[in-house]
Amino acid sequence: MGKERLRSLKISISGIRGIVGEALTPELLANFAMAFGTYMNGGSIVVGSDTRVSGEMVRYAVLSGLIATGCEVIDIGICPVPTIQIMVEELQADGGVAITASHNPKEWNALKFIGNEGTFLNACQGEELLNIYHQGGFIKAPYTEYKGVIAHPSAAEIHINKILALDYIRPEIIKGRKFTVALDTCNGAGATITPQLLERLGCEVVSIHDQPNGLFPHDPEPIPENLGDLCELVRSSGADAGFAQDADADRLAVVSERGEAIGEDYTLALAAKFILEKKGRGPVVANLSTSRVVEDVARSLGEKIVYAKIGEINVVEAMKRTEATIGGEGNGGVILPDVHYGRDSLVGIALILQLLAESQKSISQIAASLPRYHIVKRKVDCPSSKIFPILKEIREKYAKERLNLIDGVRIDREDSWIHIRPSNTEPVMRIVAEAKTEEEASRLCDNITEDMNEILSPQ
Amino acid sequence: MKPFKISASGVRGVIGGALTPDLLIRFAQSFGTYLESGRVVVGRDTRPTGPMLHYAVLAGLISTGCEIIDLGICPTPSIQLMVEHLGADGGISITAGHNDASWNALELIREDGIHLNPFQGQEVLDIYHQGEFIRAPWNRLGKVREESGAVDLHIHKILEGIGGEAIRERRFKVAIDPCNGTGGLVDRSLLEALGCEVVAINDEPRGFPPHDPELIPRNLLQLSSLVRASGADVGFAQDLDADRLAIVDETGRPAGEENTLALLCEYTLRKHPGANIVTNLSTTRAIEDIAGRYGGSALRTKVGKEYIAEYTKNFGAALGGEGSGGIVVPQVHYAEDSFAAIPLMLQFMAETGAKVSELVSSLPKYTMIKEKVPCPPERIYRILSEIREMYSEENVDMTDGVKVDFGDSWLHVRASNTEPIIRVIVESKDEGRAETLCRRTLKQIHFLLTE
Repeated sequence: MGKERLRSLKISISGIRGIVGEALTPELLANFAMAFGTYMNGGSIVVGSDTRVSGEMVRYAVLSGLIATGCEVIDIGICPVPTIQIMVEELQADGGVAITASHNPKEWNALKFIGNEGTFLNACQGEELLNIYHQGGFIKAPYTEYKGVIAHPSAAEIHINKILALDYIRPEIIKGRKFTVALDTCNGAGATITPQLLERLGCEVVSIHDQPNGLFPHDPEPIPENLGDLCELVRSSGADAGFAQDADADRLAVVSERGEAIGEDYTLALAAKFILEKKGRGPVVANLSTSRVVEDVARSLGEKIVYAKIGEINVVEAMKRTEATIGGEGNGGVILPDVHYGRDSLVGIALILQLLAESQKSISQIAASLPRYHIVKRKVDCPSSKIFPILKEIREKYAKERLNLIDGVRIDREDSWIHIRPSNTEPVMRIVAEAKTEEEASRLCDNITEDMNEILSPQ
Repeated sequence: MKPFKISASGVRGVIGGALTPDLLIRFAQSFGTYLESGRVVVGRDTRPTGPMLHYAVLAGLISTGCEIIDLGICPTPSIQLMVEHLGADGGISITAGHNDASWNALELIREDGIHLNPFQGQEVLDIYHQGEFIRAPWNRLGKVREESGAVDLHIHKILEGIGGEAIRERRFKVAIDPCNGTGGLVDRSLLEALGCEVVAINDEPRGFPPHDPELIPRNLLQLSSLVRASGADVGFAQDLDADRLAIVDETGRPAGEENTLALLCEYTLRKHPGANIVTNLSTTRAIEDIAGRYGGSALRTKVGKEYIAEYTKNFGAALGGEGSGGIVVPQVHYAEDSFAAIPLMLQFMAETGAKVSELVSSLPKYTMIKEKVPCPPERIYRILSEIREMYSEENVDMTDGVKVDFGDSWLHVRASNTEPIIRVIVESKDEGRAETLCRRTLKQIHFLLTE
């Protein structure tokens, strides 16, 4: 029990995450919200949540904590994480709190913290927040400094309008194609806003798992093995495209008109292809575990790829630094600075539909025109004490190869690569390998796993 | 350290001090655990700090798997009524009653709509201190249902219990000052249903209280002016959660907070001679005098509203109440309820045809002086025992602090249930005697404090 209980809570620079009914208690959440209110010195804070059943409890704890530190709270209710980020920027708020455990199973919940630019706190800011939390000297506002909670009901509309205002998104062209779009929002935060966007784009929407009730019908991670229902729906409805979102609607996966999940890595590749053809004027940024297809797309259109550490904020900061055109992650996260510096599945949908409308090709045709890679992802249990010895051994073993060491070890080869890094959220090593065939990618993973095991249990 | 008190009566404190979301959540979890994840009715008064406590309470109750009926801003007696009406297992009223806007508190209500008695309160406190709460998993968390019918139900219950034909015929003009508290949600509808014309001040049920909500004469100046300017027959003032009532006569003169109970006691005993009246040890002796006139008797409890309703119920009393203006009208329900007291007073006026000033002047005349002395909690019991020693030759009642009966006058010294202060109350038929007794006692306490 002790060990289980320990693992049901993670307090880190990325926020607080845990299992409801175990370690993630309302008092802990209220204290963390007070730490954030103290960090923000009682400013205005936008609060929103995904559809999880525990969202209401978590939200009340957060509101109580924020009010007690003298914050003014703008409550936008159930909405995608990117909507919260956009509203922080739009309302010129001092910060935001997103109540979501994104792709984690339904018994989990979490708080993620957003700064005044509408982007997640970076590592230094997260560290400062943690220090306040651990120190515990929170602001306790006197009654004269109490401010109210304001409900803001039109956040979704503001978000959609911002996407439709992009000069390269042409609703009349998309409308002309009369697309049928199949949608699986996993009963998550995209359930309400996504059909609204699609209707504004003149699409006929057929949907599955479209109730914002947090009862996830499948694992909310938008990877092919979880998209069986959507693939079936595309085939039965004859849809032109299928889209799947995770529970907080920051990540997007695409299903072709043939009912095949093209792989979440191809979401960013398609979005990048569209935008670079339109207006290439800055590199593409991706995290180190992103498929090389994104790099290939960037190069073929005359742009560089810049790799960043895992974590949305790390990609965002690299994008700002390099004035990137687009960025994101291989897990289906698309970041378009013209809308906002944050992963946004709705942006991904709009870009891909515009690509489809203008290219007069089907998704499977466009996907087939891109290099085909196979990616294999694994996680291997690893005691914390062994993380650094393992990384050191691997670094030394492969010292003669092309290495990137900004986040674990990534080894790049002619047409394959392998990335090993410690997880930020679990006591595991994450291993991702990509190659031209699945067998080759698996073999690469096996090799690194063997390297690891040799260090973990030397003969 | 800011004033703060956690006790069997609930948790209460000044905002910005120890009354944090963390503590409130744990207290709500203690109550949810005590109720074994039952059905709980929640409401709050109008003070602007209310949402912080409200959200903390909801989070705590949801996490223990309670089914919550949220009444939003709602008078305490309406919450009490709803607990009973909905067959709930308990209730939480978020209010610091008559305390000023810097305070807030949680009051705990049990399944019959009465506040927890001290033994029950102690059980909740034991759970709080032990810190082991029910932690519902994600799929058994509590749900919150909003309910807006409490006020209508309450008015219906009052009209059903009291009737009001006699009142309607008189078409009284009534001035009200609910102090921007929850009384503003009910007063006008209730009075209009009784055929009264209403003139109101501070009847927006939101925002900061326009004056100190304690119902003492200096806080009733606005209402007095309103009564005079409008030519009203009577004026009523309430505290923020509307359990207490003060009365102003047709000349704009406050009847005195002790006299709310005295007036209604007189009326009740005229109707029901020989009945029992429940009140506390600090309330005017006029209650015994009035009861004596009609062959009834007064039963005295410790101070605290949790005692009044329960004793009124258990002794089958015809009326219960406190000198502070909280009145229990059994025909409506067992709770201190200003809304139930208002029609009783109007009925008294209607049936006698007398002016309020005439009814007040027919009451036994006493001078009461109430004082309070800030006192560090660790000194309180020593001071009480010194006072007891001092009067060891007299007739001393130690049910609640020290009450000394001198025959023609009495003295009550006790620790407040809610604040770190000692309360001194003296009463005498003779004004000079009351002043001397009070001055002498205060001097003794100050001496003991500086010792």
